[in-house]
Amino acid sequence: MRWFETPDFNFLKAHKIGQIVSGILLVASIIVIFTKGLQYGIDFRGGKEFVLEFQQPVEVTEVRSELAGPLDGAPEVKRFGSPQDILIRTDNPGDITAVQSTIMGTMQQLYPDNDATVIKTDIVGPRFAEDLKRGALNAIIFALIVIFIYILIRFKDWTFSAGAVGALFHDVFIVLGIFTLFSEIAPFSMQIDQAIIAAFLTIVGYSLNDTVVVFDRIRENSMLYKTMDYDKMINKSLNDTLSRTVITSITTLFVVTVLFIFGGEVLKGFSFALMLGVIIGTYSSLFVASSMVVELHKRKQNT
Amino acid sequence: MKGNGTKIGFIVAFLAISIYYLWPTVANMLEQNYVEDLPEAERAEYVEENAQRLQNLREESLSLGLDLQGGMHVTLEVGTPQLVRELAGEYLDSTLVDVIDTAEQEAIENGTDFITEMVQEFEERNPDARLSRYFRSDTENITRRSTNEEIEAYLQQQRDSAVERAMEIIRTRVDRYGVTEPAIFVQGNNRVVVELPGVANKERIRNLLKGTARLEFRLAAEPNQINTARQRIMNYYSNQASSDTTDTLQQQQGNGQNPLAEVMSTQTRNAYSFGYATGRDTARVNELLQRPEVQELIPRNMVLMWGASPFQTTPEGQEFFEMIGVRPDVEMTGEVIEEASVNFDQTTNQPRVSMNMNSDGARRWSRITGANIGKPIAIVLDGYVYSYPNVETKISNGRSSISGLENVAEAEDLVNILLSGALPAPLDIIEERTVGATLGEASIQAGFYSTLIGLVIVAIFMIVYYHAGGAIADLALILNIIFILGILAAFKATLTLPGIAGIVLTIGMAVDANVLIFDRIREEQRTGKTLRAAIEGGYSNAMSAIVDANVTTFFVGIILYSFGVGPIKGFAVTLMAGIVASLFSAIVITRVVVDYLTRDKSAELSFG
Repeated sequence: MRWFETPDFNFLKAHKIGQIVSGILLVASIIVIFTKGLQYGIDFRGGKEFVLEFQQPVEVTEVRSELAGPLDGAPEVKRFGSPQDILIRTDNPGDITAVQSTIMGTMQQLYPDNDATVIKTDIVGPRFAEDLKRGALNAIIFALIVIFIYILIRFKDWTFSAGAVGALFHDVFIVLGIFTLFSEIAPFSMQIDQAIIAAFLTIVGYSLNDTVVVFDRIRENSMLYKTMDYDKMINKSLNDTLSRTVITSITTLFVVTVLFIFGGEVLKGFSFALMLGVIIGTYSSLFVASSMVVELHKRKQNT
Repeated sequence: MKGNGTKIGFIVAFLAISIYYLWPTVANMLEQNYVEDLPEAERAEYVEENAQRLQNLREESLSLGLDLQGGMHVTLEVGTPQLVRELAGEYLDSTLVDVIDTAEQEAIENGTDFITEMVQEFEERNPDARLSRYFRSDTENITRRSTNEEIEAYLQQQRDSAVERAMEIIRTRVDRYGVTEPAIFVQGNNRVVVELPGVANKERIRNLLKGTARLEFRLAAEPNQINTARQRIMNYYSNQASSDTTDTLQQQQGNGQNPLAEVMSTQTRNAYSFGYATGRDTARVNELLQRPEVQELIPRNMVLMWGASPFQTTPEGQEFFEMIGVRPDVEMTGEVIEEASVNFDQTTNQPRVSMNMNSDGARRWSRITGANIGKPIAIVLDGYVYSYPNVETKISNGRSSISGLENVAEAEDLVNILLSGALPAPLDIIEERTVGATLGEASIQAGFYSTLIGLVIVAIFMIVYYHAGGAIADLALILNIIFILGILAAFKATLTLPGIAGIVLTIGMAVDANVLIFDRIREEQRTGKTLRAAIEGGYSNAMSAIVDANVTTFFVGIILYSFGVGPIKGFAVTLMAGIVASLFSAIVITRVVVDYLTRDKSAELSFG
């Protein structure tokens, strides 16, 4: 089977559309992130989170309103996969054991014939949350710097570094924007926690993978076709690698979708971020990274 | 083909090493299935007979993270500010207290070291002042003339040894409690991480870890002082309530508007009791009593402390706790305890802890009890009054006991804590994560099915798209997974749920190298090259793209590993192991197979 045998798409023409689409998505994401604020999960916000498994399904709203009094303020209550499992998050500053027994006592009263067991707890103190946040931020910044330098050394052209890192920013901001916008209505957790940061860095690695393969072909073609226009040469490189870009994206998308469906509730947010990342990362290496290189190259030549 | 002998050698060697390291894991799984299928009666016998062998297998198996086998992960922080305050001891003044408080805030905000912040803050306030005014140590040679740098080094060293000691004490406590294969290690400069697989009673563990076991013997406060303080505080809140309220209706409701009277009853059980409240209201009472204006109404030689266990429980489960007035001076601390054991009170049949003091303690205990016959002495542990029995006679044999314990488990844990020694500084639980065994089990299943389904889908796709080439890539993919697990087992890495996700992700990305190569081979074929020339060109031309793409992802793995904690580290490890393994299998293994299949000039091999 062969797709894209000898493709001859005019990517550079599509770059114009790509720039508009990316521009709109980026601006929208940034507006969403700044107006709504990042929706932090337990790791970065701190608090106490309990996952309760009941014998029979329970009503989320009922649990929330019943706990509001005893916990001094309504907790966040969400489904955790099946309707029997619910997640309760509270900022109540009390002792862990006391908070847990308050929750269990209230549930016992509310559902006397429907026993609950705690199957998972996450308690993160405010200081620890700050540390985790700082660590995550450092990891992302550090990753971007290392990538910028590696590409600079490997391709000896800062426009490539800028194109690659620009595409990464593009990918991460759009995924972040989607996560921020839909965190409340999603049927699974889309809050930013450590696992999501790991997913982001993986997206960074993956999107880079795609971008680097294209860049590698540009480098190769620039030596083979010295007289060709820079634009045309980049377009040829994109077409040359198109088959590989699409096939790898398909296999990766297969496995992250499998993870999303079969990986269990704990990995839902993580694998969803990867799904989005693979799609947007593929798009960006075709329409954003090289487009930036072309633009920057033009400017470099004009000055 | 020339050189393939070496390649085959490498492949066989790597495969052999992987299988060698994975063998205990497989054997362990088989053993466990076998044991589970045995009839009840034979099971215990078999396990006992093969205990040593089974344990060895378990230890050499690829270990599962707490998120997969269930268990408890706790991060404790040593209270450095408190430690510094205690080191300063009698020299502590309001300036230093203020500096410590500010530095504590700054250390949290900037994520920096508390001691460094404290020295900086101190020097900023008064560049000429010396910290040596607050600290003395003969053994560490810290005198009035010590420089601030020397003091800083001294404090850091004290903190490090406190963390070290805390870790040792926690290890002793956990071992006495009896957890299999706990992991206890220091993180950063003031944290201790405790990982306990498969613990069920989280509450007991929490108390066991946190308990500073600061045992104190204090005299009770004077009954008339307790009375006066209570009256004054009640009056204060009544007056405040009536002057605050403009609503006449509320005023008429009498004492309902006094916020303290709403949560605390002043009907006392005896002369030393300040009042009582339900368990839920104790926090509110503390808050009301902590206010500076109220603190001024409490005499200097009296502090109020809650009883450790409820003195009464209603049938509905409401628990009442008593507040007791004691002296601020500590007569004696738990350091003198030499022996402790659990036994039962003969009259009430309640569990209690009997303690034996060393000779110095016995002497002091004899003096204290002798001087206070007829008065109560409060036995205080970590700020809670366990009991305050009346001294009937002078006790000269150095014996004492702690009653007021809820159950035998609590008594056992208390003995454990008392005997393993007091923690040098208070410990705070700043992170706690627990996963139940059933959720862990479900995660293992989810991980296993995801890997299997992911593998099957990718394998089918590769065959459909690249025909024979795809089949070769699939073979490499399967070996790849064996290699990844082998690497994890060899490096004694822990497999977590994100780690399994890393493996699944690798399945999707591992074929990338083969996709690059096969696409390149097709391209070379299009230019009219022979199959063998195209294969040669495909492999060599794709190499630089493969290396570049994988090096960058590997960097991301390293960064994730160094910044991530817990399960995320597991993800980083499998991601990195996956890159190494997939490069090897995609480049070396497929090449050997492809070369073998095209060894004749006339051979055909389809790349789709």
